Amino acid sequence: MSVILKTEKLRVEFASREFRQKAKVALSSLDLTVNAGEIFGFLGPNGAGKTTTINVLLGFVTPKSGAAYLFGIDVRQPIARQRIGYLPEMTYYYKFLTAEELLRFYAKIFGLAGAEADKRIDRLFKLVDLEQARRRLLKTYSKGMQQRVGLAQALINDPDLLILDEPTSGLDPLGRMKVREIIQRVKNEGKTVFFSSHELGEVETVCDRVVIINEGALKAEGRVSDLVQKYQTHSLEQVFLKVIGYETTSSAGAPVTTGASKA
Amino acid sequence: MKTTRPFVLLMLLLLVLSSGLAARIDCWFMGWPGNHETSLNPLDVMIGDAQKLFAGSFYREADVYYHSGYYPTIFDNRAAFETAHMAADTGAVASHNQGDEAGFRSQPLDLIDAFNRHFTPNRHTHLDEGGPTDDLSKSEEVREILPWLKISSELDPEDIQTYIVTAFWLRTRMGNVAEGEQVLREGLRYNPDNPQLLFELGQVYFENYHDLQRARHIWEAALRCWQQQMAGKPDSERFNFDNKFIVEQLQTRLALLEETAGNFNAAIAHWEQAKAVAPDPGKMQKHINELKQKLAAPANAPAAAIH
Amino acid sequence: MNKIFAIGKVVLLEMYRRKDFYVLFIVTALITAVMGSVTFFKDEQIVRYLKAICLFLIWASSLFIAIGATARQIPAERESRTIFPLMAKPVSRAQVLLGKFLGCWLACGAALVIFYAFFGCVAAAREHQWPLANYFQAWSLHWAMLGIVVAMTLFGSLVLTAVSSNITITFIATIAILLVGRHLHQVALTMSEPSAIMITSLYYVIPHLELFDMRDLIVHDWPLIPWGIWFIALVYAAAYSALLLLLSWLVFRRKVLQ
Repeated sequence: MSVILKTEKLRVEFASREFRQKAKVALSSLDLTVNAGEIFGFLGPNGAGKTTTINVLLGFVTPKSGAAYLFGIDVRQPIARQRIGYLPEMTYYYKFLTAEELLRFYAKIFGLAGAEADKRIDRLFKLVDLEQARRRLLKTYSKGMQQRVGLAQALINDPDLLILDEPTSGLDPLGRMKVREIIQRVKNEGKTVFFSSHELGEVETVCDRVVIINEGALKAEGRVSDLVQKYQTHSLEQVFLKVIGYETTSSAGAPVTTGASKA
Repeated sequence: MKTTRPFVLLMLLLLVLSSGLAARIDCWFMGWPGNHETSLNPLDVMIGDAQKLFAGSFYREADVYYHSGYYPTIFDNRAAFETAHMAADTGAVASHNQGDEAGFRSQPLDLIDAFNRHFTPNRHTHLDEGGPTDDLSKSEEVREILPWLKISSELDPEDIQTYIVTAFWLRTRMGNVAEGEQVLREGLRYNPDNPQLLFELGQVYFENYHDLQRARHIWEAALRCWQQQMAGKPDSERFNFDNKFIVEQLQTRLALLEETAGNFNAAIAHWEQAKAVAPDPGKMQKHINELKQKLAAPANAPAAAIH
Repeated sequence: MNKIFAIGKVVLLEMYRRKDFYVLFIVTALITAVMGSVTFFKDEQIVRYLKAICLFLIWASSLFIAIGATARQIPAERESRTIFPLMAKPVSRAQVLLGKFLGCWLACGAALVIFYAFFGCVAAAREHQWPLANYFQAWSLHWAMLGIVVAMTLFGSLVLTAVSSNITITFIATIAILLVGRHLHQVALTMSEPSAIMITSLYYVIPHLELFDMRDLIVHDWPLIPWGIWFIALVYAAAYSALLLLLSWLVFRRKVLQ
């Protein structure tokens, strides 16, 4: 199996704004590997370093040390992003453009020619169910519509690797179902999906492998079933809580994991 | 809407109250002895005498336009720009201004300065002499200075030089005598009995309308006004440069009119007055002697004008 | 290059859909029309004051457009987070910068064409002549100057945090250079050290924007600038724009986007 995404001892620090304060370590020596064709879940509590990792992969942030590769190309080179699609957590696009203009713009960035771009744009609007609204300005779109446009722009170049940052955040059940369908479709086409999410039930359902990070370090990695067995729990959620060290005792004195509902 | 209605009514009430109060106070203020306001002109109220500063800069703008933009800035050698006669006009000391009108820009200081001169007017020209094209058929383009002179006179109606210059160009270059006369009359409205303006008005009737009688009356009136205004003034003021110049001009013109009419005695009297203030009295004395000879000799000898 | 043009096109679309240009053009046209309706001494051939006022308004408007639009580009992208989907594409930061520059500069050029066409109509209505070569030189030099201003503003947007600070500082710097840039060397001669050397250094470092100001030549009907000189001025503008863009890239390439 070929390696699509790889990080080697990735370390990211953010300088503190306060005088004489140490730099904040966002990631400390993170090693990740994602293979072609798998759906990879990237989990962690808030502030764990998930978004920072994605930012490094996309070239938004320069690591202090270590390296990251996409398709074997250093992420610092723009060409590394030629075969990826990215859906950010918060979808913001140029309000003064229509949805169609936005997709054409991104198509041009990927070097898609006129007829091919037209065909692909038509297909994507059908896929995300925005055929009727394609000529409306993006500032008139609802949040759900913006998320769907986000998905469309992430798929404009028919990517081999789809990076999704909290793809179902803020979506209604119908929207979440749509996203799951697209992820499954992409997987059926042999593509790779790398996504971070707090919806552990979804992750459990769709992911082949997951990684749990906390405080910038990798805490657990493997198939969901293997992790559940390893940590002697019943669900991924319990694995998650155990890995990040969230544990309370019951009235009988035995350790009990609280505050989470079963998926 | 229900909650905003009382607020709107309150605002309306306050507006009515404040307007009524303003109207009442304004009436009282107009009659108050401490009110020194003499004008309702918004510019007078807002910037007062600062208008004169703006008037000066607009007058200068007219000069800039006269030179088609080739003009010194505050960084250039202004002294070199102002020749002796211009210095005299401005009242500056002539000895400090010995430069050449074209020489205010020194040699380029560096490559950038030399390159820069391609993008700005770089030759001394006068609009009435054809401007940058040196095409004398375009001498009427001196009209372009008129808007600035007009604005300058609006801002500082007491600067008579503006009226004089405006009228000069209107009647001599533009052939617009009527407008030139109106400008002088407007100047006289703001500066009644000003001898210089009256002199120029007389010139209009003499040179353009060829109405010698009217010209004589106006010049005589100018002389009377000057004498009235200078009565009781010290000699240093009576015989300063400006006053000597205007007296000489008036007396000379009147002398020429008398000569044309054949009234040599009256002409000689005027020449004597002119001689007293002329920069070159010798020449005038020579002409007076000629007139005296004519008086003594038979009539019909044509009068030779000095000017 | 396609990517740069694509980004530039988006900038153009934004400028086209914003109201700034239309408002400025209408204000310019209105003021010019009002001033043009005034007649001095019943002479309808007086035109230079009108040309001067119109050109002044054009210059002021073009600076508003150039600085105002450019200062917003990258900060607005970061603030609205639209820069993330863009940078996630195979496009380098240099291409983004060049695309923004190109878009803003082309928008300025298009605006200037309309402004100068209007100016030409106003002048021709009284002068009954249309010196196309002179207008072309004035327009091209003006557009070249705006390239420097746009590059300067882009650099400022990367160095300064607040858009308003960038707009204010760039505006002041541009006006200062236009008014006193050519005289700094003369000023330095009258000063003592070390002020003299500082002012002289400043004189040589600043882009001399006043080189591109042909207003006096247009208003007073001076002949054309020699085409060789015109070309050198354009090259000078290109060099300074490139230098400022290079500085911008040096700052932008290491900038944390979040």
